[in-house]
Amino acid sequence: MTVKVEVIEGGVPHNTILAAGLIASLVLIYLSYANAMSGTQLFSFFGGLGAVAALIWGSHAIKHLCSYGIGTGVPSAGMIAFGSGVIAMLFATKYGIATPIVAVVLAAIIGAILGFLSNNVLNMRIPVMIQSLIELAIVGALVLIGLTAMMTGSFEFSPLMSGTVSVLGLSLPSYQASFIGGCLIAVVFFLGAIAIQHPFNACLGPNWTQDRMLMLAAECGFLSMIAVSVMSLALINIVAAVVSLIVSLVGWYYTYTRYIELSKRDAAGWLDSKPIPDVEGH
Amino acid sequence: MSAVGAKPQAGGAMDVPATIGGIILLLVIIGATYFLVGPGLMFMALIGIIIGGLAIAFGVHFVPVGGAPAAMGQAPGIATGVAMLAAGAGLAGLFGGAWAAEQGLVVAVVTGAVGGGLMMAITCMFVTFIYVFGMGIPCASGKVAKDPITGDTQAEFKSQGTEGHGLPFVSYVGGVIGGLLGGGGGTLIYIMLLDVYKETLPGMMKALPAQILPIAVSLAGIFAVGMFLVNAVLTAYNITGTIEGPHDPKFKRFPRALVASAVASALCGMVAILIVAM
Amino acid sequence: MESIAFGIGITALAGALATVAGAAENVESDIGSQGDPNSQVQLAPQMGFLHRIFNKAIAGEPPAYGLWICLGAGVAWALMAMQINPVLALVLGSALAVFIQGVYATTAYLGRTASLAKFGQPVFVDVLKSMTTVTMAHAFVAIFTTVTMCHLINAALGHPFPLPLLGLVWGIALGAAGSATGNPFYGKERQYQSQKFGAGVPISASGNIVRYAEAGERNSLDNGWFSAKLGGPASGLCFGLIVFLEIWRTVLFEHMGAGWGAIIVGVIIILIFMVIDRYIEVWARKNYGPYAKPTEEGS
Repeated sequence: MTVKVEVIEGGVPHNTILAAGLIASLVLIYLSYANAMSGTQLFSFFGGLGAVAALIWGSHAIKHLCSYGIGTGVPSAGMIAFGSGVIAMLFATKYGIATPIVAVVLAAIIGAILGFLSNNVLNMRIPVMIQSLIELAIVGALVLIGLTAMMTGSFEFSPLMSGTVSVLGLSLPSYQASFIGGCLIAVVFFLGAIAIQHPFNACLGPNWTQDRMLMLAAECGFLSMIAVSVMSLALINIVAAVVSLIVSLVGWYYTYTRYIELSKRDAAGWLDSKPIPDVEGH
Repeated sequence: MSAVGAKPQAGGAMDVPATIGGIILLLVIIGATYFLVGPGLMFMALIGIIIGGLAIAFGVHFVPVGGAPAAMGQAPGIATGVAMLAAGAGLAGLFGGAWAAEQGLVVAVVTGAVGGGLMMAITCMFVTFIYVFGMGIPCASGKVAKDPITGDTQAEFKSQGTEGHGLPFVSYVGGVIGGLLGGGGGTLIYIMLLDVYKETLPGMMKALPAQILPIAVSLAGIFAVGMFLVNAVLTAYNITGTIEGPHDPKFKRFPRALVASAVASALCGMVAILIVAM
Repeated sequence: MESIAFGIGITALAGALATVAGAAENVESDIGSQGDPNSQVQLAPQMGFLHRIFNKAIAGEPPAYGLWICLGAGVAWALMAMQINPVLALVLGSALAVFIQGVYATTAYLGRTASLAKFGQPVFVDVLKSMTTVTMAHAFVAIFTTVTMCHLINAALGHPFPLPLLGLVWGIALGAAGSATGNPFYGKERQYQSQKFGAGVPISASGNIVRYAEAGERNSLDNGWFSAKLGGPASGLCFGLIVFLEIWRTVLFEHMGAGWGAIIVGVIIILIFMVIDRYIEVWARKNYGPYAKPTEEGS
């Protein structure tokens, strides 16, 4: 990278964001479990909101890690987060209501081992490496669980594998037309992987400001929710999917317009059809 | 404006206590899996996954990556990131290997390897084509005086102010080897997991094997992609960004990447297998 | 025999779609300025060279295209699972993926430029408005052709992977092939057009990209116009050959030698490309000759 990265100055401390993100994400994901308790699928969108909370935390974790000069690009951190997160998440879905907790614990273990390998075996010697990889793996697992819950209405093993297909007007169960059978988890994987690294990557520069990056993280989260709600039309009933879509669109519109205002606040100039300004000596 | 707590340069040295710790961790994971699932298909699958991960990690070291300077003709190599270029080649190989899955393990893995190698061969040839015919720049390495394979001298073909440019033949061959190993390794991981899932999911979900085949394929596929990315990113950390190919001094760092990749693949493989074992 | 003829027909169609996809992908990433050449667009203001180029920093091309195409494929799969016509599903899937790509492009430009405020680089709202739609248009071509190609591979040729997973695999491969081939051409030839032809950019000239050019102040559309002449078609040919040869050798030779036929053909093709590459390299050394001694400027 040719851009030097600034140390975090002021703003909300990282550990506060960590705690807030983790708790908010878990609470919102568990709120989507109300689906199972009430027998509807209307609460699916809470899973998406949980994913947004986790993404906000995750983008700040990437910022925290990369401010120590990681040497390679930012997107790899997102890939390793989700690569380890997907493994933890799929294992955890076997545990029914305890899925998010098991996923957090397992992702933490995997992240810790990956952090040890990167820092000590690969000699990267970055002070916050192990903690950051633990955080990123947990964020990866939580985002996957949240968006999966939003798409299918549940985060348990069997509903992920079952879907229905219409043959001659009858709905028959089919494994192929399910979340796992159609490998929609690959879409959720990459939606999250790009969304987690984009806020820091896009706001990289000497005039990085924390509130702008976190607003962008929320915007990326809601944008991913829009895509997930469209795909959920195939897997949950249409009313629930439309509710998800409306929530996503409203959330996205608000965060996007706020992000544009914050960019206008921070930019050196906001010119429309003007020539390149003159700078001394060039 | 500089990064806080600037870390000491990740040198090429090997941290022996940590490496030994890593190997012990690897043996612990293998032992735990043996304890939980016993000898048989699942244990062999774990060994296969570890070998696949090792192939991927080793293969990524061969791929010539120049990063941002290569995009300006300032450094030799391909102007893309290490992890994702290797992922592109490996996944193209996985595509071919998955198609040949029902023809047996050896055929599928070799098909996957050839698929990855083919993608890199075509891509690297077009890179050379663009450099020579589109930009008028011959290939030159900045790290060696003579190409180890062809014996061509490099120094006088390096333009002034740069570290070399293009893809000298040894880098080309390195790229193809990297694609072969990456494609083969990814396919091996996929086939191992596919066999485990095809064997156990019908019993676990009380359905016919033909019905759950899509689930087995998708699960094995997404695990293969995830493990491929983890291995590629760890190797990218080892290389710290750019490498010219097998002739680059950075190539000698590969042993520690092999240890790291073996542990990471073992861990992820164990979890992937335990999904159906526990 | 008929099934092989059908297979070859689909292979040819897939190869053609892949060629178009590769060309569109490269031009899109050059108009948006994504990937490694974008580091120069980012660096230039820091060296005092303000510009009107679109700064689209969305990871690199492989992961970004992995996402757009996987997303297009996923939405198309979901719509097809609801019994919507496949062609309509592919179009709608690609449209949603392009919308998301456009939003990411705008946030990337705003974010990077706002973070360069210290150097005086302003946000040009007209650049934002005019470039975004053009890059979305090229992205739509790339996404639609690739998702269609994946659908053909899955539905007509019977590949076991479901459509979203195929989309992911080919999306990352498309980004890798297009970025490897097209980035140096855009980065060196166009961004540094004022440097001498036939040599790499010296390190001392980093950041001094061309900002005033043949049509006044250069913008990204000018860059797209240029790279569509060689970088785009070369990337298209590269990705098209990758897809075509990979499927061709499988469809035709898979049944020979219990699978080894396809492998042997693959190895032969690799060796052919190796010979071609070596020939080009030797041709360059012979016809361009070495650079003069370091004390003189030459090419």
